[in-house]
Amino acid sequence: MRISGRPFWVAISLLGTLLFSGCGNNPYPAGQAGKAVLFRAMSDDPRTLDPSISYMSGPESATVDSIYPSYFHYHFLKQEPFTIEPMLGAKMPERRAYIVKSAGKTINGEEWIFKIRDDIRFQDDACFPDGKGRNVVAADFIYAFRRMADPKVPCPVLSFFEDKIVGFDKYIAANRALDEKKQAADYSAPVEGLYLDPKDPLVFHIRLKQPYPQLKYLMAMHFTTPIAHEAAEKYGKELARHPVGCGPYVLSEWTPKKRIVLTKNPHYYRDLFPSEGDKGDREAGLLEDAGKQLPLNDEIIYSTVREGTTAWNMFLQGYLDSYGVTQENFSQVVSKAGNITPEMKSKGITMRKVVTPGVNYLAFNMSDPVVGGYTEQKRKLRQAISLSIDAQAFIDLFSQGQGRTAESIVPPGLFGYEKNYKNPYRRYEPQLKKAKQLLKEAGYPDGRDAKSGEKLTLFFDTRTVTAAGRQYSALLVKQLRQLGIEVQTRAWRPNVWEERVNQGKFQIIEFGWLADYPDPENFVFLLYGPNKRPGPNCTAYQRPEYDKLFEKMRAMEDSPERLKIIEQMRDMEVEDCPLVFMEHSEDLALNYDWIRNVKPHAIANDVSKYRRVDGATRESSEARWNKPIYWPILVFAGFVVVGSIPAVGTVKQRRTRRLRRDSSPSAELKS
Amino acid sequence: MLRYVIRRILYAVPILIGVSLLTFLLFYCTVSPEGMARRNLSAKNPTPQQIQGWLHEHGYDKPRSEQFKKHMRELFLLRFGNSDASGEPIWDRLRVGIGPSFLVGSLIFLAALLTDISLSLYVAYYRGTYLDYWATFLGVLFMSINYVVYMIGGQWIVSKLLRLAPLAGYESGPTALKFVFVPMIIGVLAGIGSTVRFYRTVILEEINQDYVRTARAKGVGEQQVLFRHVLKNAAIPILTSTVTSIPLLLLGGLLTESFFNIPGVGSMTFDAIQSQDFAVIRAMVFLGTILYIIGLTLTDISYAIADPRVRLE
Repeated sequence: MRISGRPFWVAISLLGTLLFSGCGNNPYPAGQAGKAVLFRAMSDDPRTLDPSISYMSGPESATVDSIYPSYFHYHFLKQEPFTIEPMLGAKMPERRAYIVKSAGKTINGEEWIFKIRDDIRFQDDACFPDGKGRNVVAADFIYAFRRMADPKVPCPVLSFFEDKIVGFDKYIAANRALDEKKQAADYSAPVEGLYLDPKDPLVFHIRLKQPYPQLKYLMAMHFTTPIAHEAAEKYGKELARHPVGCGPYVLSEWTPKKRIVLTKNPHYYRDLFPSEGDKGDREAGLLEDAGKQLPLNDEIIYSTVREGTTAWNMFLQGYLDSYGVTQENFSQVVSKAGNITPEMKSKGITMRKVVTPGVNYLAFNMSDPVVGGYTEQKRKLRQAISLSIDAQAFIDLFSQGQGRTAESIVPPGLFGYEKNYKNPYRRYEPQLKKAKQLLKEAGYPDGRDAKSGEKLTLFFDTRTVTAAGRQYSALLVKQLRQLGIEVQTRAWRPNVWEERVNQGKFQIIEFGWLADYPDPENFVFLLYGPNKRPGPNCTAYQRPEYDKLFEKMRAMEDSPERLKIIEQMRDMEVEDCPLVFMEHSEDLALNYDWIRNVKPHAIANDVSKYRRVDGATRESSEARWNKPIYWPILVFAGFVVVGSIPAVGTVKQRRTRRLRRDSSPSAELKS
Repeated sequence: MLRYVIRRILYAVPILIGVSLLTFLLFYCTVSPEGMARRNLSAKNPTPQQIQGWLHEHGYDKPRSEQFKKHMRELFLLRFGNSDASGEPIWDRLRVGIGPSFLVGSLIFLAALLTDISLSLYVAYYRGTYLDYWATFLGVLFMSINYVVYMIGGQWIVSKLLRLAPLAGYESGPTALKFVFVPMIIGVLAGIGSTVRFYRTVILEEINQDYVRTARAKGVGEQQVLFRHVLKNAAIPILTSTVTSIPLLLLGGLLTESFFNIPGVGSMTFDAIQSQDFAVIRAMVFLGTILYIIGLTLTDISYAIADPRVRLE
């Protein structure tokens, strides 16, 4: 086999030409940058695109909500406060009293009458006759509710509806019984609370056991989107990867671990860009596209980019339109004054703050013999600990100062959040005078048990095994040590941690909650007794007075009376101190200025349709920033060739010497 | 030779049983099915019914002995079922992933083989000169660098500084070359140190043999001596270290594929390990074992082909 010589060099040249002909770092096909396409990154594939199951934020919910709209949605621009308006709904639902008679009791319930638009149709799909999507009717909404009650469909928000819709709990139980007998769920059994108007195919009724104003928020979640039974029957579980919706986009490609492509739905109904917004929106140019048909772009491409550094560099090269500010890129993006750095600004990058409606806290196990309980002493112990923890230090260290210290459970932007409220047990002062006093009154002077003299040692169970997680634990240990309390950290794998939490095998943990919908009910329920672990009430806090107040406020519209109840509940949770409120997170979002109509929304996920792309600017910027540089390769090759020349001479000399030696008579004799 | 191959296949059975048993035991030592259910259900707080439903659906609620029997039966029938995490049929994912994995793997393999052999011959040719010493120094240096450093550094230099290739991603067809460029360079560089050192030793051993002197004495040129005579005779140790890895090219590189977002089998396995997707892990371990055994058998067969003195009996 002869690989040196002409064929070898021809092969090398061919390979080189092939590699360098399409050279450049653009990961997309040529010319795509100039089109109305949004380029985004996702760190991993969505788990599912099934609207009855999906519950992940980020690209998954953005994808699901772009395919599956609901009866309501959040107004894109009116965010102060968050405003809900009909989306697939023709109008706001009518509400009237509904009397429920159950086991001889009469319960005052409520009936909601929903009327949907008459111009919505499902996307074209093979599940429909001739592959043409049909019109959406009210029965498709009811089908979505029935599907949630199918045990084969693990709907994460089933409990939101289970105890509220009349007869829904019985329907769910009947389906579970069928499932145990290995029979399919019954999609035709009557449910009193889910009622189709026999006269109007566009009207459906939902009957509730008690007034529940939050139903409007649930009707804005993709769980209540209309589902075509044809699609669910044809695809079954595969609906998770084969969505059939009626939204602004359709899924045109999903290559696992590579990308998701959403393209404009040609049969999308008349949905116009809003013509009103919050104060300042017009000045910010956010109403320039008012009245235009949505979506304003043709395609969204989500590329899988696992590594944060890779995604960040792709953003800097212009190949992603938006990105977040993380611990890694913070110093590059944010100046000491807290603004965007000149370097980023010169690239046309803008930075916006998004206040996440959520709360992070440390939770005490209320059933623990040391930190739990409702006696005055136990309460004081928790209060002392709460007073000794400096949340601002955690925000500075782990969130680069981005975030607000939390005073109570309700986050900013929601009804019931009071800006000026100061939690008396979250007033950290370095001398810890009050904390030490409370600790003493709790029976632990200087952190030692007054009776036995033993040092108080507590356990902090964490699921974060990363370096940041260890630093978090170390800071907590350090802060509590100032009070004389010893804290031992136990790090678990997430699933083990969850099991231990659900079994109540912990003293202190770190926990957080992100709003499902912008109502305080979605936060105060974190301490509602019946929600105790494995439900969201991980502390197992249980006070009948609190529970009663919760049940009352849950059924109320926002009003001064409701606010008063929320304040009463807040005072209770602050005094009992089952939680140490830490932080309401704030995120910083970066966007190139070639993407127009950017106004981050902390709750809504269907905002992609409003984005307009200035493709020409993007294309020219990308080309300018990404010109390939070849000279270092040529220099390197030249260096290797020139560097080899003396060795060639050496070998030639050696060969000549050897030839002489080999041909000399003495050499022949030796051999 | 046929008898030998059949014997090897029979030997493979206990190995496969052992590996599958070990996978099963290790899985249950480290992961609890409830934890898996919790992780794979999308709810913030899945209800006990939902967890039970998930366990039932995936067969994790059955007694361990029954689970083990099913585990073994399904694996030996190559019925891998669906992924625990995504519910997708594993064979479908394999079908999609094998193409990119094989392309990336084989390009790295071929480029590395070509480079390593050429460089070793080059170094052997210039033995004793400063080029040889420099090659030794660089070889040891390259051996000492962690693979992750190659990936980060390679991506930074080629894609960010020189802007010659995309940072990550993959496209099928001829465009694939653009995406494979950096992983290929890294794959070659990461293995070059140890391999060139090894091949150089093998080649130098051959260079000092009598038949080389005879060839030279007959006036055969140095290049012909190296490529026609020395390379052929140095092939056996080279085959040992290369043929085994050919079937494994189908499984892709876990780190490379994951870092460069190549949607191959390697990144699928990497994700499965991270998300404790036992269905995928056991399938991949089983396939890996089969391919490794095939690789070893192929190595033996290639000996017989390359060296007429070797007989497989």
